[in-house]
Amino acid sequence: MKYGLNGIASLGLCAVMAATSLTPVLAQDFTGQTLVVGVWGGDIERLLRENVIGPLEAETGAKVELLLGGTGDRVAKIYAEKDNPTMDIAFLNIFEAPQALADGVVVAPDPELQIFKDIWPDMNNGCYAMSLAALGIVYNKDAFATPPEWAALWAPELKGKIALPAFPGSEANGILAIAGRLAGADEHDADASFAKLAELKPIPLTYSNLDELLSLVDIGEVAAAPVISGYAIAGMKNYENIGFAFPTDPGPVLTRDMLCLVANSPSPELALLFAEKALGVVNQTAYANELYFGPTNSNVKLDPEISAMLIDSPEEVSTLTQLDWPFLIENRSAWTDRWNAEILVD
Amino acid sequence: MNLRRAGTDTIWIAWMAIGYIVVLLPIVVVVFASFSDSNTFRFPPTGYSLKWYQAAFASSEYRNALGVSLLVGLLATAVSLTAGTLAAYALSRSEFRGKSSIETLLLAPLALPHIVWAIGLLQIYAWLGIGGTLLGLVLAHAALTLPFAVRIMLSTFIQLDRTLQEAASTLGASPPRVIWHIVLPLIWPGVLTSALLTFLTSFNEVTVSVLIAGSRYLTYPVRLYSELRSQGIDPTTVAISAMLLALIVVFALIGERFLNWSRRV
Amino acid sequence: MARKSTVLLLTPGLLLTGAVFLSPFVFLGLTSFWTQRPNSLLIDPAFTLVNYVRIATDSFFLGTLFRTILLGIVTVAICLLLGLPIARWIARRAVRTRGILVVLMVTPMVSGALVQTLGLVNLLSLLGVINGLLKQLGLIDWSIRFLGNEGGVLIGLVQAFLPLMVLPLITTLAKLPEDLEAAARSLGAPAWRVWVTIILPLAMPGILAGSILVFFASVTSFVTPQILGQGKVQTFGTVMYQQSALVNDWPFASALAMAMMLVLGVLLLAVRAVRRGLERRPVIGSAS
Repeated sequence: MKYGLNGIASLGLCAVMAATSLTPVLAQDFTGQTLVVGVWGGDIERLLRENVIGPLEAETGAKVELLLGGTGDRVAKIYAEKDNPTMDIAFLNIFEAPQALADGVVVAPDPELQIFKDIWPDMNNGCYAMSLAALGIVYNKDAFATPPEWAALWAPELKGKIALPAFPGSEANGILAIAGRLAGADEHDADASFAKLAELKPIPLTYSNLDELLSLVDIGEVAAAPVISGYAIAGMKNYENIGFAFPTDPGPVLTRDMLCLVANSPSPELALLFAEKALGVVNQTAYANELYFGPTNSNVKLDPEISAMLIDSPEEVSTLTQLDWPFLIENRSAWTDRWNAEILVD
Repeated sequence: MNLRRAGTDTIWIAWMAIGYIVVLLPIVVVVFASFSDSNTFRFPPTGYSLKWYQAAFASSEYRNALGVSLLVGLLATAVSLTAGTLAAYALSRSEFRGKSSIETLLLAPLALPHIVWAIGLLQIYAWLGIGGTLLGLVLAHAALTLPFAVRIMLSTFIQLDRTLQEAASTLGASPPRVIWHIVLPLIWPGVLTSALLTFLTSFNEVTVSVLIAGSRYLTYPVRLYSELRSQGIDPTTVAISAMLLALIVVFALIGERFLNWSRRV
Repeated sequence: MARKSTVLLLTPGLLLTGAVFLSPFVFLGLTSFWTQRPNSLLIDPAFTLVNYVRIATDSFFLGTLFRTILLGIVTVAICLLLGLPIARWIARRAVRTRGILVVLMVTPMVSGALVQTLGLVNLLSLLGVINGLLKQLGLIDWSIRFLGNEGGVLIGLVQAFLPLMVLPLITTLAKLPEDLEAAARSLGAPAWRVWVTIILPLAMPGILAGSILVFFASVTSFVTPQILGQGKVQTFGTVMYQQSALVNDWPFASALAMAMMLVLGVLLLAVRAVRRGLERRPVIGSAS
């Protein structure tokens, strides 16, 4: 009886797959196997459960488990467990992915796969590009009549009202690089960058989560802060007095969530099936519509209204500020000391 | 004289009140915040509602996480309490060289930095192949909570009247019988007290679990912490925390009423 | 006598502490003498002292160590000031309220650092209860910043660790002989004198025990300074977290941990020496 039901279910799924011709892979039986995915908790977790995990479990009979936490925890884990990993997939940030590949803890993306080809060119650096976002400005509408440029954050009357992210990280490295460019240099000139950013002192808040930041921006205790688009745009809906700006001079800093297949992982085939679904049109469309994370899959079609609020094409990417991440990583440790001493201390 | 005494008492109580306010106010605020109707807490709240409580009971994710925390807490308590009671018994009953070093050693987890320990442990677990398993998490929690078990059981055994056991032994009772009929009935309040303390410490542990817990055994505090680090606190967790707090207070009062808790910790 | 059974009884506990708790520190001790390969997070297991040289020569780390210890000492002092009267009342005066007073003191300790810190943030943040009340009363226009500075962290540390001070104090104070104080009082000694010459010296073991617990807990704590300090107050805990979880430089984080443990070990030995001195001293004779 149970067998029969399963059979009907997989027949139905085969039919669905044939109809949508998503992938040429036949539904395989992975019953009893477990896939472990390391990812952020919250809305991303919810979307993955709806669009990726549910269908994948139904098709393969496998069980998908999520390991929730921050990126740092995941990096610690995949390096510590290098020879004996428990995670199959890890979501990392733009700058950690190439490093992880160079260190051999993740598998290089396979250019022969259809899913690789579906993603805009030159984005699969280290791992598969999952979503696009950019470091822009979240601002209080009373403090700024129009969406501000980066330079406006340095206005004398806003001194002490600009919040910053925690260092190191893509947000903090991003705003440091912007400071460097405003000072006439770029991210390679640490002295210029730190000196310019230090002009914002005293820093009212180093934000660790968005709710904390947005509620303060809403009432004007914080005038503005550099924030990654996506979540921030989605979260803005809960507040009346908040705007989000993609500056143009220089453009917002490109960031990217990366989907990494862990090297020597226990279930590589299942991991690939997960990756195909996560990077697929359905999930990336949901990412865009609900979280305002830009799709990397070139087949995703979005409403113009949504499309205007996020980064979703190579043309848009070319207007963004792209950073020399390997250089930033190399200096991460030393710059952490400088950030502690030069930016945080009032 | 009486008036003067009343005066000093008032000052005394006022001074004590400061301590209690500092300790308790944050917890009162959490309970208060759980009835707020907005997504983020601000004061004064825009309105009150029970919706986060409804959400708490509807969420299977949180139920699972709480279930894992319960399981891990119970297992860790069993391990830690067994090891702790045996060690405390030995320490209370015999004198030997190096005894104080062993006592210090058993209390070490109270003093050493847990975050860094967790990173070392993570690598050792990976090497042993028990990373992300229930066993690994339970052992970690048991090691962390052992000092509580040892401390409370040690004071329980020291308070234990030794003459009773000696009398029983002289009358010909075998050591197992002495333990079963004399020692156990006398120490069980202490055992329950340290079990509760050990359990709660494990149940709330976050620093180490963030790194050690595997996907199948993701505890409730780890879930809460991962939210705190990205989008922000889900108000549902505030409601859950408020309910847990109420439970803890009820348990503590029961423990106090029947086990004389306050004389044991 | 029963040496063999003692060893047997101690084995599970020592195994748990030794194998699970201490072995990672041995491993970390080794790691602290290694470094990461250039441009990689992988570790190069070749002996080097660079991590320790970096700690010893960088004023930031020494400053942080100093600040952490200072925070710990101030926390201990405040906990003593608040805890002594509470413990004394519970030990001597409270009869029917004793149980509830102890329960109320212990509840926060067992309810978890996250919940407490969350409550403190709701209480002290710019949008929190205190600022909200002050604004409603028309006393302030812009919120007062309680968080993101040493003061906020201090409040959090006292809140979290006051019970660790009160509990051992209750035990010690309850054991003090009452007749001694009564005698002093009947001889006309004022209250402060009774405290200074009788109660405090006799309560010293409890004071030391509580102080050590509070001090160790506060200097190694991480969640409280991390969240209440809003990234702006650096303690050894937050720096270790930053180096291990954000920078992912585990050899350096290990060296920081070893440095911290060295300092704690030295302090512990010093306290031990003081305690030995106290024990040797004739108990009451020296009071006047």
